[in-house]
Amino acid sequence: MTTEETTQPVADFSGTIWAEVDRALSGVTVRPERGLLDVIAHIPRDEVVTALRRLKTDAALHFDYLRSLTAIDREADGIEVVYHLYSTDKKHNLTVKTTLPTTDLNVPTATTVWRAANWLERETAEMFGIQFTGHPDPRTLLMPEDMTDVHPLLKSHPLAEIEVLQGEGMGYPEEGA
Amino acid sequence: MVTERAREFDTQDLLINVGPQHPSTHGVFRMVLEIDGELVKDVIPYIGYLHRGAEKLCETMDYRQGIGFMDRTEYLAAFNAELSYVMAVEALAGLEVPERAQWIRMILCELNRISSHFMFMGAFGVDTGVMGTPFIYGWREREGIIDLFEEISGDRMMYAYFRPGGLAWDVTTNFKARVREVLKSITQGIKDFDGLFTENEIFVARTKGVGYISAEDAIDYGMSGPSLRASGVPMDVRKDEPYLKYSEIDFKVITGEHGDVFDRYHCRLQELRESVKIIEQCLAKMPDTGPIMPEKMPRMLRTPPGEVYLRTEAPRGEYGVYLVSNGGNRPYRLKVRSACLSNLQALKQMSVGQYVADAILVLGSIDIVLSEVDR
Repeated sequence: MTTEETTQPVADFSGTIWAEVDRALSGVTVRPERGLLDVIAHIPRDEVVTALRRLKTDAALHFDYLRSLTAIDREADGIEVVYHLYSTDKKHNLTVKTTLPTTDLNVPTATTVWRAANWLERETAEMFGIQFTGHPDPRTLLMPEDMTDVHPLLKSHPLAEIEVLQGEGMGYPEEGA
Repeated sequence: MVTERAREFDTQDLLINVGPQHPSTHGVFRMVLEIDGELVKDVIPYIGYLHRGAEKLCETMDYRQGIGFMDRTEYLAAFNAELSYVMAVEALAGLEVPERAQWIRMILCELNRISSHFMFMGAFGVDTGVMGTPFIYGWREREGIIDLFEEISGDRMMYAYFRPGGLAWDVTTNFKARVREVLKSITQGIKDFDGLFTENEIFVARTKGVGYISAEDAIDYGMSGPSLRASGVPMDVRKDEPYLKYSEIDFKVITGEHGDVFDRYHCRLQELRESVKIIEQCLAKMPDTGPIMPEKMPRMLRTPPGEVYLRTEAPRGEYGVYLVSNGGNRPYRLKVRSACLSNLQALKQMSVGQYVADAILVLGSIDIVLSEVDR
C-alpha cells in the first residue's frame, strides 16, 4: 500500500465515501482509486469476502444491494473480479475489485453476503473459468450444461471469422486517413 | 393447506417442465416445477437459450457499432438500453451532450417506458386469464407510440438513434405536436386499463396476496424497477442519482405496500401516469431549436483508459453498462447488467408455496424479456 502511494500522486478523495470505507475496513489491506463515478477499492482475494460482509453490515455504510458482479480479463495481469455495491437507504456506491492470478483462478463466493451473487457468479464462472469456492449451485447459467471447458469472455477465446471481419474497418476509416 | 384427510393418502411429488416453447413463459425460458398436488414445492429455472454473446461481440467493434447490440438486448425498451450505453461512452470520452438532445432523449425514453408497460399489461392480462381484450388494448396504445418512433428514427423496434454525443439526426418538425397527440391517446389508454384491471373484482381476487416477496428479500436478491418498488423500496435511479434532466423534473417514485403480484401490476400502472407527467414537463422545457450534437466530433471516437459503471432506470429496472476502456476505439470489456436476470433470481422465493397457476402469474408480474436476461 505504501509503495503505491509514493510512486503515484495521492488521489483526492474529498466528497466521496472513502473515509467511511477506510474506517469500516480497518485491518484489511485496501488500495483506493478514484473512478469516474464511484470509488474503487482494491482488496486482496483472501480478504475480499470478509470486507464485503463488513461493508454490508456496517451501520453507516450499509451496502445491502449488489448491483453487479463480473470480471475483466487483463491477460498477463490476471483476472479482476468486480463487485458493484449500492446502499438502498444511504444511496451511495462503491466498486470493489480483487485480482486473481491466471494460474490460480479461484475466489471465495459472495453468495453468503448477498443471494443476488448466486446467478451473477455462475455467469462469471462459466465466462471466465473462475471457481467461486463454496458456491451452493455451481452449474452453468447461460452456456450449455456440457460446455464447462469453454470460457467465451477470455481474451484468448477465438472469435469466429465473421466477427473478426465485422470489427475490422466497417464504415469507420482510421482517423486522418 | 394439508388437511387430516389428505394426510391419509400416499402422495408423490411430480416434476413438470414448463417451456422453453410455452406461450406463458414470455420468450424462451424453461422452468422445472416440482409440485405436490396443486402446490409448487420447488422451481428450477433454466436460461441461456438466447445467449448471443453480445458482450464479447461489442469488444470487437467500434463504439458506434455497439449501439445496435444494445437495442437487441432489450428490444421492448431499446431507447433505454441505448441510453445507458451511449452515456457510458460519453462519460469515458468526456463528451458534453447539448441540452436539446438531452430533452429529446428523456421524452423518447419515457415514451419507451410507456410502450413497454403497455406491452406488459397486455401480456399479463393473458397470464391472468383475461383473453384478448387487454392484449389488443395494450398493442393499440403501443402501436401509436411505435409509429411516432418510426417517424423519428426510421425503425419500429431497433432504433439505433442515440449516438455518443447526442442524436443521429434531428427530430421531425412536428415532433412536439405528435408527442402531445400520442399522450392524449395514452391518457385514455391508462384509464381503460384502470377500468379493465384495477376495478375488476376477478382480476383483483386473482392477483392480491399472490407471489409475495418482502423488501429485505427483494433487495438481497438484487431486484430493481417496479418489481422492487412494489415491495415498498423507493429505489429509482432517476431520483437517487439523477441523469439527463431528471433533477429539474417533478415526479413521484411509486411504491407498493404488499409486494404481491397486484402491487407489481399497480406500480406499473401508476408509473404510466408519472411518465406522462414527465413528458409534459419535458415538452414545456425543451427548446425548439438548437444543436443535437457537439460541434466538433472526431470521426473515430477514442476514449482514454478508464472504466465506468453507468446505470439508468429502464422499464424493468436498473439497466447498467460497465464499460472498461484501455484507450482504443472499442471497449476492452463491456458488461450489461440486466435487470431481468436479477429479478428472475427471486422467482423461486416468490413461487414456492403458491398454486401452479399462480406461478405463471408471478413470472408474468416481473415482466421478463429473455433477450435481456441472456444477452
